[in-house]
Amino acid sequence: MYDKDTSMIDRIFSMFQTVQNEGHGSVLLVFIIGMVFGSIIQYTKVHKFEKIAGFSMLKDTVVPKMLFLAIGLASIGLFFIIQLGWASYYVKPILLGGLIVGGTIFGISMAIFGKCPGTGPISVAEGRVDVMVGALGGIFGGLVFTLFYDKLKLLMGPNLGKLTLTGYFQDHQGLTALIFGLVLVAISIAIPLLEETDEDDIGYQK
Amino acid sequence: MIKKIPWWLGGILMALLLLFTFSVLGANRPIGASTYVPYFAGIIFDLDPEKYTYLKEIHNPGSWEGVMLLGVLIGAFLNALFVTKTFRFIIVPAAWRRYKNNSVKSRLIWSFVSGFFLIIGARLAGGCTSGHFLSGMTQTAFSSMIFGAVVMISLIVTGKLFYKDKTDV
Repeated sequence: MYDKDTSMIDRIFSMFQTVQNEGHGSVLLVFIIGMVFGSIIQYTKVHKFEKIAGFSMLKDTVVPKMLFLAIGLASIGLFFIIQLGWASYYVKPILLGGLIVGGTIFGISMAIFGKCPGTGPISVAEGRVDVMVGALGGIFGGLVFTLFYDKLKLLMGPNLGKLTLTGYFQDHQGLTALIFGLVLVAISIAIPLLEETDEDDIGYQK
Repeated sequence: MIKKIPWWLGGILMALLLLFTFSVLGANRPIGASTYVPYFAGIIFDLDPEKYTYLKEIHNPGSWEGVMLLGVLIGAFLNALFVTKTFRFIIVPAAWRRYKNNSVKSRLIWSFVSGFFLIIGARLAGGCTSGHFLSGMTQTAFSSMIFGAVVMISLIVTGKLFYKDKTDV
């Protein structure tokens, strides 16, 4: 599959084939999930520098309000669809070093870039040159991470397992999911709504 | 046509999309959006997946996110052209001018550096805003709550230190 002569086009073709054969939705379905995901972000404008860097300055709160509402509602829904056997858990392990070091680096970068890996592509598609340059930086970041993975891995431990809150309160899983979800929804509503204006609101000036 | 939706509608729609994607009707897996970057780096720099452990590990999730990302890119491009009409070549964002500086060079250098470390950070932590915040916290995963707390603190501390508050000047 990975012989040395494979060209870039073969590898992109192999990407589609992997998805088609993997059983996590057809290529078309995954593509549509991406379109819907991107559109929700684009229409709420949470990909804007003003929204993400604005949140870091506590001058714009649309990102945390929307994030907590989405997680709160989805956590209640997910618990019940898993109980019904319509979905499964895909919990990430607690790799404590990686989470603390990686999370710190991620937060600093997100405040300065004003993007995260899911929102950046939308700004690229809207012609934002600074985000294209940042995406290039990201590709190099991905390269460096791949090249030094074996060394970086040492930094990521210890692995404390794939623990969840609902798993911790085993006898009251449904109630735990419900309270967790409702608390997040309440936080989302309680955060005061602040908004920064961006270039689309004020009209672009050179 | 609708150009903007309120945060609460966005939150509800995002919750529904997460649930659909998790369910067997959808993809029977969570949404993630940072594994595709090293996956594409492997393709662009022609790295042999047999030689690099990481590329072998991310072959399947990288492919899935790669296709999803194409949907994001193409969808956002079409929206920007025909619906929101937000397609413009802009280098320095409005709030960067407001709270940092007017320098193109400064914005581009910081973008490159922060883009670089954004991916290093996400891959060290094993996820990003999508994989950890949205998909992980939805499962009440402790790993994602730790990530969420660390990111929120580091984001807000950086925001306070890195940008100037014009009202103080």
